[in-house]
Amino acid sequence: MNNEHVIVVDLGFGDAGKGTIVDWLCRDGERSAVVRFNGGAQAAHNVVTDDGRHHTFAQFGAGTFVPGVPTHLAHSVLVDPFALAGEAEHLESIGVGDVFDRLTIDERALITTPWHRAANHARELARGGDRHGSCGMGIGETARYALAHPDDALTVGDCRHPRTLHRKLRAMRERLGTSDWAPDDDAPARGVVDPPDVDDVMEVLGLFAGTVHIVDGGHVGGLLERGPVVFEGAQGVLLDEWAGFHPYTTWSTTTTANAMSIVAEHGHRATRLGVVRTYTTRHGVGPLPTEDDSLTALLPEPHNGTGPWQGAFRVGHFDAVAHRYALAATGGVDALAVTHVDVVNTAGASRPGICDEYRTQDGMPWVPVPPHGHDLDRQARLADTLTSITPVIREAPETGVEWLDEVSALLDVPVAVASYGPTAAAKRRMNG
Amino acid sequence: MGSGAWSTNVYSAAKAYRSRTGKSAFAYSDSMSGTNRVDWRVHDSLDPARANIRESRDSDEHPTSQAISVIFDVTGSMGSIPRTLQTKLPGLFGLLLRKGYLAHPQIMFGGIGDATCDRVPLQVGQFESDNRMDDDLGNIFLEGGGGGQRTESYELAMYFMARHTSMDCLEKRGRRGYLFLLGDEMAYGHVKASEVRDIIGDDVTEDIPLTDIVAELRTKFEVYFIVPGGAYHGRDQTITKFWRSLFGQNVIVLDDLAAVCETIALTIGLNEEAIDLAEGLEHLTDVGFDSTAVVGKALAPLASSRSIAVTSDSLDAGGALDIPGKAQRL
Repeated sequence: MNNEHVIVVDLGFGDAGKGTIVDWLCRDGERSAVVRFNGGAQAAHNVVTDDGRHHTFAQFGAGTFVPGVPTHLAHSVLVDPFALAGEAEHLESIGVGDVFDRLTIDERALITTPWHRAANHARELARGGDRHGSCGMGIGETARYALAHPDDALTVGDCRHPRTLHRKLRAMRERLGTSDWAPDDDAPARGVVDPPDVDDVMEVLGLFAGTVHIVDGGHVGGLLERGPVVFEGAQGVLLDEWAGFHPYTTWSTTTTANAMSIVAEHGHRATRLGVVRTYTTRHGVGPLPTEDDSLTALLPEPHNGTGPWQGAFRVGHFDAVAHRYALAATGGVDALAVTHVDVVNTAGASRPGICDEYRTQDGMPWVPVPPHGHDLDRQARLADTLTSITPVIREAPETGVEWLDEVSALLDVPVAVASYGPTAAAKRRMNG
Repeated sequence: MGSGAWSTNVYSAAKAYRSRTGKSAFAYSDSMSGTNRVDWRVHDSLDPARANIRESRDSDEHPTSQAISVIFDVTGSMGSIPRTLQTKLPGLFGLLLRKGYLAHPQIMFGGIGDATCDRVPLQVGQFESDNRMDDDLGNIFLEGGGGGQRTESYELAMYFMARHTSMDCLEKRGRRGYLFLLGDEMAYGHVKASEVRDIIGDDVTEDIPLTDIVAELRTKFEVYFIVPGGAYHGRDQTITKFWRSLFGQNVIVLDDLAAVCETIALTIGLNEEAIDLAEGLEHLTDVGFDSTAVVGKALAPLASSRSIAVTSDSLDAGGALDIPGKAQRL
């Protein structure tokens, strides 16, 4: 992985530790920039520094603690300028003061507004007990609105043009921001939103455009020329809009596809690094076949609390079946980064086990097969089946070293880095 | 699956962004030159897309503000001239005040490139009555590109000045602003709607003929075009003729642009009828400039046009009618 562009994706449902791996990749000075290529402000990539500072990276790249490392938000990212301001303030409060100087954003990236967020809340509320595990940040609504009203979708570049900005914001508030807005024709959700005025939103977006560096699609080519870059994925492959288990997915391509196309477009190559934990987790509702409540209690999650919209953080045994499905869905990776290896060493007999096989109710082995096209009905059936299968769980090796060998064999991918704790100092580069 | 970790409150976001403004300026052009061409971009403070309206306003301190704009070609054909301008123009303000040609000048600087091929085709500062104008000047990016076809996007700058300026000198007192354009090539024949949309952000749907935008511009500004006698195209008669067809006597051929400051100051002095040319040149000597010969040569045609009556010829030429003076005003 020396001196190469690296694409970091999560082979589970998110939260495997992409942030801490991206931070580590930037630490030795080999990687000169972080490029975000999917998702939006709902990302939560936790990084802890050796001197104990902690930040949950959402829109700034997880390499931002390393002085001089810039972040680029590619055209496929959804940008929330409102959350961005808050994130920058927190980074400043812990001594990282030049974050806006180091941030570039593709002018084509879509903007998430408070009205998208309000529409998101209204839609989740209307689902009642049938929630999708949304983060409540309006990401899905941003994508949905852009598909429904392509001419009125708001981009980062629009924020430089007051007249265009005003026109699009007015149309948006009209459609999303009224108090009797209905998420679906047959499921009105009245009175749940308290949307801000167009003028207030306009002011923030104007200030945003005056603060960040807005660039065109050629910028990322320059970054790739200048030195090796880290592409930081958001969420996990098992939440992919087309390959995830519908409807418990995110409205984003979470595989390496976006990053690979950016790299190829500029005539470069990249190493794909898949991140897994020594146990499999999920934040919010949706299938988690190896879930075990006793593990949830055993393994504290310092940075993932219960979210008001997405729900509780859930823990299961290492699910090799699900991760193999993710590997096939993303077209494979070149190496693994394995986090929380310290858990294997410290948890003793109560450590998480390994699932290498699913069985149906009549005892037959069953393997989920990734989709070949865009068929959400098929993915919904898959999600349905996953709730009825039984994972076969066996005991995991007692030491971290053995465990790494075993997981490498199970997924048929070499392990390039193992993480024994939250900081960069707790990472070990593996041979091979 | 992530979370909403950071506040998305509209009001705190506005506060957070606002607290970041007012950062100090830096040597923008030099910092940009060290980067890849794909990263070249207009400095935020000079971005026409963010400018909306550039205003020159009266204040208690400056009750009779007079707007002056100096916009120069920053493309490669100008050689090192843009850098010379960047060093010389800060003196303009002092020169105007010292001899009392104007009581309250407000100066705006800008840069012109080629919208068909440059990364930064138009840069526009603010009208300032203090050293903030130096910051704008320092932030002008000297791209040095250009297309080599003897045309630059002057018409885009004219469009901006015609449609995106608002000046108390004109609106309150009927006195147009001054606009000095400096360059060595010709303008394109039309203001292209697509460029206006992309670079300035106006919803314009049709191209505007150059002569139309010039006419519109001249309702707001007394326009002068300064052609460097020493630049690549400076001695090219086609280019001088081209500008004369638009601005008549207001085209000034200046052999040494190091004297740009004095030339502009004296042009304003002549126009305000504060001086005649001989007096102006004496003033230059008074304040220690040794550029009287070059300035005298450049301004001689203009000065002689002041002393004769307006004729139908000069009407056709398009420039001489705009002899400013105090009489004929909007």
